[in-house]
Amino acid sequence: MKTEHEHHRQKLDDVTYGEVNSTVLKMLEPPGAGWYVLLGSCLSLLAIGASCWFYQMYAGFGESGKSHPIGWGTYITNFVFWVGIAHSGTLISAVLYLFRAYFRQPIYRLAEAMTVFAVMTAGLFPIIHLGRPWMALWLIPYPNERALWPNFRSPLLWDVFAVSTYFTISATFFFVGLIPDIAAARDQAKTPFRKLLYSVTSLGWRGSHAQWKHYTSAYLIFAAFAAPLVVSVHSVVSWDFAMSIVPGWHATIFPPYFVAGAIFSGVAMVISLAIPLRKAFNLHRLITPFHFDAMSKLILLTSGVVTYSYLTEFYVAWFSNNPYERYQFWFRPFGELWIAFWGMTFCNCIFPQLLWFKGLRTNIAFLFVLSIFINIGMWLERFNIIFQSLTVEYIPAAWGGYNFSWIEVGITIGAFGWFGMWMTLFIKFFPSVAIAEIKEVLPPPVRHADAHGHH
Amino acid sequence: MEGATRAVVGVFSYLDDTVKGIKRIQSTGLNYRVYSPTPLPELEELTFPQKSPVRIVSLIGAITGLAFGWGLAIWCSLDLPLRTSAKDIVSVPAFFVPGYECTILFGGLSTLFAMLYFCRLPTLFAAGYDPRFSNDKFGIVVECGGNQADDVKRKLLESGADDVDVREGL
Repeated sequence: MKTEHEHHRQKLDDVTYGEVNSTVLKMLEPPGAGWYVLLGSCLSLLAIGASCWFYQMYAGFGESGKSHPIGWGTYITNFVFWVGIAHSGTLISAVLYLFRAYFRQPIYRLAEAMTVFAVMTAGLFPIIHLGRPWMALWLIPYPNERALWPNFRSPLLWDVFAVSTYFTISATFFFVGLIPDIAAARDQAKTPFRKLLYSVTSLGWRGSHAQWKHYTSAYLIFAAFAAPLVVSVHSVVSWDFAMSIVPGWHATIFPPYFVAGAIFSGVAMVISLAIPLRKAFNLHRLITPFHFDAMSKLILLTSGVVTYSYLTEFYVAWFSNNPYERYQFWFRPFGELWIAFWGMTFCNCIFPQLLWFKGLRTNIAFLFVLSIFINIGMWLERFNIIFQSLTVEYIPAAWGGYNFSWIEVGITIGAFGWFGMWMTLFIKFFPSVAIAEIKEVLPPPVRHADAHGHH
Repeated sequence: MEGATRAVVGVFSYLDDTVKGIKRIQSTGLNYRVYSPTPLPELEELTFPQKSPVRIVSLIGAITGLAFGWGLAIWCSLDLPLRTSAKDIVSVPAFFVPGYECTILFGGLSTLFAMLYFCRLPTLFAAGYDPRFSNDKFGIVVECGGNQADDVKRKLLESGADDVDVREGL
């Protein structure tokens, strides 16, 4: 019978401690042409986005296409999209840690990096959306000569607290988890630059018994703090909509709907990143079909919750007998923007149902395609919520269209470039698979196994 | 000089040998440190069975954050009493959000600082450390006088150490 320690140790095809080190640290070797091409592409997209933003600041916010009645357009869609992407990282690293779901080990570092960079991307959008980004300072409650304080009853201010707390805690959790792995990279560093970089960023970590004790205690506490953040932060973001009286927004389903959707899109993005990384760096022995199977099941679960949320919205709109709410939910599937609605429904509700088939849950090519579709679907979900509701609010005198502009398209593309740039730099300079934590779930090397094969 | 402090560094490939070595060193009463590439419960039970004080600092930080978040929201609202949508000036449901977020923020940051403090990070030097300890080896580093070094070395070798090095000073 297994002891408690042995129970959570899993065989990863007889991987040894040394193999984990060598496989992961090999990723930090000087990059080939492909990495430079990827980085160059990301920087090009970023340059497009930055140019569009500077032009917007120069020419005025109207250049972005935002106007009455759709005052919240692509920028807030992007903001919610990227905050949603960020949530999955914390779910995989913190929540699954607390639930002792050890399949997370090889993928959680990538997921955490995705979280931090996605929050950095999301945080740009409220500032871009201000039009005059230097006014962003007014969101912070600091003593000023105008004797003003921000409105603490506004969900927009709650967002400031929620998203900045989320960024701080995620970045801290990310960095703390990295410390022992950076130390491993320091001990194998071949160039003076990397030796210095890793010596500084590892803070001199050595892995003594006392250090591990305090580290594991702190890690558990971080996970315990981060787990409620997964639920609270996207609930707060959902209240940007739900605390208003706009038809289609003012619904109590929004917090769980948004949180489930965030995890859904985030896990899909982890798959989108993990598959090329696994192929490029030959990580097949560390990230196995078992891990993809587990992530697929998470996607199936959250797809179910999101589908249920969509059905609930329609049902409650009908049941409420509110003509404005009923019209909104007729307009979404049958109005001018029907393609966005059905695109969302196909990508989020119908296509993921193929994951009921085990063969497809471990089919890497299929999963990659599905993950892209899911992210498109989730972007369309936020588009549907914002654009559709604002297009046909209450009485026809308030209705109106939208003029998409190349500025907002450029900035949207630029955001992907910004995110891609950070991920590309990260995978080449820091260990993007958790070395110490994978070793923690491997059977440790022992000289004498007992008669039952236990250690 | 014979009485000068030495660091005896034992490098082990196997966990069970390391455990044996720790038990032998513990019986001598000498100061020691164990290095491993990953936290292992077998080592933790032997070397540091008591709870870490990091959690106490986290709790204090979280309570401070709770007070700060609520206090900030209430004080600012009373200082500039804007009437919005007929809500109370001190809106308890609304102020849950900044209070809750500040609890997590302060709790998390105090956990970080506590961990760095108790782990003695950042640090420039660690006695007896071998770069193999972050790869696939375990280490026991024992602080002893010059006249005890041979005895410690023998104990570590008998426990199954791959090699044992005696270094000057700690």
